[in-house]
Amino acid sequence: MGSEAGSVSALAETDPERPTNFGVQTDNAWSGLVPVGRQLLRALPLSLLVLAVAICLNFALPRLAPGDPIDFLIPAEQANKITHEQRMELASAYGLQGSTGEQFLRYLGNLAKGDLGTSTRYGAPVRELLADRLPWTLLLVGTSVLLSTIIGAALGFRSAWRRGSGSDVRTLTGVMVLDSFPPFFVALLLVLLFSVTLKLLPVFGALPGSEAHGLDFLAEVLRRAILPIAALTLSGLGSAFLVARSSAVTELGEDYVTMAAAKGLDGAGVRRHARRNALVPVWTVGMLNVGALFGGAAPVETVFAYPGLGRLIYESVLSRDYPVLQGAFLLIAAGVIAANLIAELVYPYLDPRVRRPGNVGS
Amino acid sequence: MSRRRSPGQVLGRVGLVLLAVPALAAVFAPLVARHSPTRPSARPLLRPSAGHPLGTDDLGVDIFAQLVYGSRISLAIGLGAAVLAVVVGLTVALVAGWRRGWTEAVLMRLTDVTLAFPFLPLVLVLAAFFGRGLIVTAVVIGAVTWARPARVLWAQVLKLREYPHVQAARAMGATGTRCVCRHILTRLTPVTSAQFVRVANAAIISEAALAFLGLGDPNQASWGIMLSNASSNNALLTGAWKWWMVPPGLALTLVVLGFAFTGYASEEWADPRLASPTGRLRFLNSRGRRRRAPAPSPATEVRADGPILSVQDLVVHYDPQGPAVVRGVTFDAPRERITALVGESGSGKSTIVMALLGLLPGDPKVTGEATFEGRKLLSAAAAARVRGRKIGFVTQAAMNALNPAYTIHFQVAEAAALTMPASDARRRATELLETVGLPASDHAAYPHELSGGMRQRVIIAMALANKPDLLIADEPTTGLDLVTQASILKLLGDLKDSLGLTVLLISHDVQMVMRVADELVILQDGCVVERRPINTVAADPQQEYTRRLLNTRLSPLAVRV
Repeated sequence: MGSEAGSVSALAETDPERPTNFGVQTDNAWSGLVPVGRQLLRALPLSLLVLAVAICLNFALPRLAPGDPIDFLIPAEQANKITHEQRMELASAYGLQGSTGEQFLRYLGNLAKGDLGTSTRYGAPVRELLADRLPWTLLLVGTSVLLSTIIGAALGFRSAWRRGSGSDVRTLTGVMVLDSFPPFFVALLLVLLFSVTLKLLPVFGALPGSEAHGLDFLAEVLRRAILPIAALTLSGLGSAFLVARSSAVTELGEDYVTMAAAKGLDGAGVRRHARRNALVPVWTVGMLNVGALFGGAAPVETVFAYPGLGRLIYESVLSRDYPVLQGAFLLIAAGVIAANLIAELVYPYLDPRVRRPGNVGS
Repeated sequence: MSRRRSPGQVLGRVGLVLLAVPALAAVFAPLVARHSPTRPSARPLLRPSAGHPLGTDDLGVDIFAQLVYGSRISLAIGLGAAVLAVVVGLTVALVAGWRRGWTEAVLMRLTDVTLAFPFLPLVLVLAAFFGRGLIVTAVVIGAVTWARPARVLWAQVLKLREYPHVQAARAMGATGTRCVCRHILTRLTPVTSAQFVRVANAAIISEAALAFLGLGDPNQASWGIMLSNASSNNALLTGAWKWWMVPPGLALTLVVLGFAFTGYASEEWADPRLASPTGRLRFLNSRGRRRRAPAPSPATEVRADGPILSVQDLVVHYDPQGPAVVRGVTFDAPRERITALVGESGSGKSTIVMALLGLLPGDPKVTGEATFEGRKLLSAAAAARVRGRKIGFVTQAAMNALNPAYTIHFQVAEAAALTMPASDARRRATELLETVGLPASDHAAYPHELSGGMRQRVIIAMALANKPDLLIADEPTTGLDLVTQASILKLLGDLKDSLGLTVLLISHDVQMVMRVADELVILQDGCVVERRPINTVAADPQQEYTRRLLNTRLSPLAVRV
């Protein structure tokens, strides 16, 4: 696994000690299993534990927070007008009656059925609201994770090959400056530049008016996604760049790089050798970026009035629609946990030392 | 090159300056801003004027005052959350790393679980339930971000525990607390400060995002709240963005950048390898010349019985201003013989080889003359032309000389493909691996699945891929056990005889060299002290140094050889 040689964000993302996952070792007893199966056994316990913690946290939050959990179900403007009977009604409608244990069991039962409760603002099931919004956020986050990882890694490797040169220092500084802009400020600046000043791209929403059909419709959807994707891509670029640069620099210090040059490979050939190994941490950080960009999506979608999960979170914060907020949190947590699990499952295909452990040479 | 300041030193200074501005603004806010940052002082939505340099907001509050006082909030949140996260993280790391056992298992699982949560959504939902006050926000952010410092610092504690002086202190009866304070905490400082800066940075961005999403403390004028207010008052369309949106946005960016720069500097402090400027590898940017015959260069007439390699007055400085590591070395490598370059570590023997092959890192100064087959060798282009084609190289430290990501067959075939089509190269790789004694069943193996001796055989196969005339072997037996050492040496001898190879063997081990070499070149401090056929040296060493080397290293067994 990568060394401590990380720079700003690389350091954290490429820990020398990867989670050991409950002491489960990938030893010879398991070498008969296919790599994915073995890796699943290794990584699944942690994923399930995190999911369990998220589920419990979701249940506990309204109960731990100051005040009565029922208060969180009353829209702000009605807070003072509500009668005792109405409160009791709300309590039973939201499963808040009975002991905490009973409530928890009921909560788990509903969750198993896919019931995340009802929005206090729309009166609609939270699940339906989330299902409406999720595809838009997936479009934004998925595309930006892909773009920021590819662009960031390409720049980071290029910087590493020219390490210490003027162009390396300039790129490093430039990326750090770019990375320091808060994503929503970038979003505001993009709106200012492309929509208000140049009038090139539409500002608000994801869907065009009803008159567009077929390919026109698709083109219009893409046009409306460009700016949010650009804002998120810029905010994810820095970590991909830094981890690519530092892991490539680390690989360049390895003996096999000198050997690749000694056996006659040209610059491109030697770089390919180093890049092959430096890609492993880049992949891991790319998947970690999924979580970061889901977070960044909330303010960015708000700026663009983009109808995704992030905008839904903003709306539910404003209208104190806690069931929706909790549902969105649970959904994002599950998505990020899944992304981390996928990162672990693919890992053996990137590093043969994980894919084929055992009979390690003396 | 090496005299230049590293990027971290430069960035660190710039970062401190960037942070000094908001720090001063925070301290002297009442002197800088004449109006209150929370109470209206004029009519709403005024354009900038002398009295209100950045105008007023929708309630008539002075925007410049909000900007100045906002630095207090950003810095307080950043530093508060960072102190909290680092104190918790450091405690967890020290307790887990020092106590080990169950405590460690539980604490580190807790850390893993916290790390696996999406950061901003978690902060958001916590802030939504626990309120919008400044302290609550700092605590929430700290409570979510402690895990990263905990994990990174824990790894450091585990490393430090095993340091000899810490183990010695423990063996001498120092108590746990004393050990931790004295020996571990002091050394953790660089890594801790790097983590501190990271958390501070994340906290400031999160506070701004929270405020922008309506979860900020409405009684405080933070930069995030200013942006949120400006945005909801359509500053973008009215033109007020110039004084209402850009200043707080830039202020946020500059503070974050200041932390990022100082963070980079402290990462370098934590890991000096990042700062070392020796990283430049010229061969990385050399142009390709795949599968083309070596370009003809002016060659003097080569005598069939003359030396294949001839080095005259070679001087190498790693650094143009630094001392010479190799100080005027002259020797020949006669055809189809094994010439041994012997000297203790630091005598410059590996440097000579790397200089000949053009593989020295950084910007070294190499002077003198070297000819290979009558052609000059000491230029980057000339070295690249013969490397791997006419001169094969068997490196030191073969354990890590193979790329862990590729099979050994691929790596040998890749070398052979420089002078032949891919299908022939694959056949040649199979053949070569068998020649050096690796059975076909091992050809699809990855390097980590082979022993050190087998890996060294792979390296030799790679070096032979393009039928070189000269094989340079730099300490080919380092790190191998005695039996394997003997078999590798025998392989080299056999190859010399069967392929008509010339070998340049670099070693510190006179005893080993005496068994296989024909010619001996003895180096001391970058100079050749003795240069003769091997049998005459053993019988009658001319130099005091040679005599000492032979006496200290030679066992009775080797003398008989």
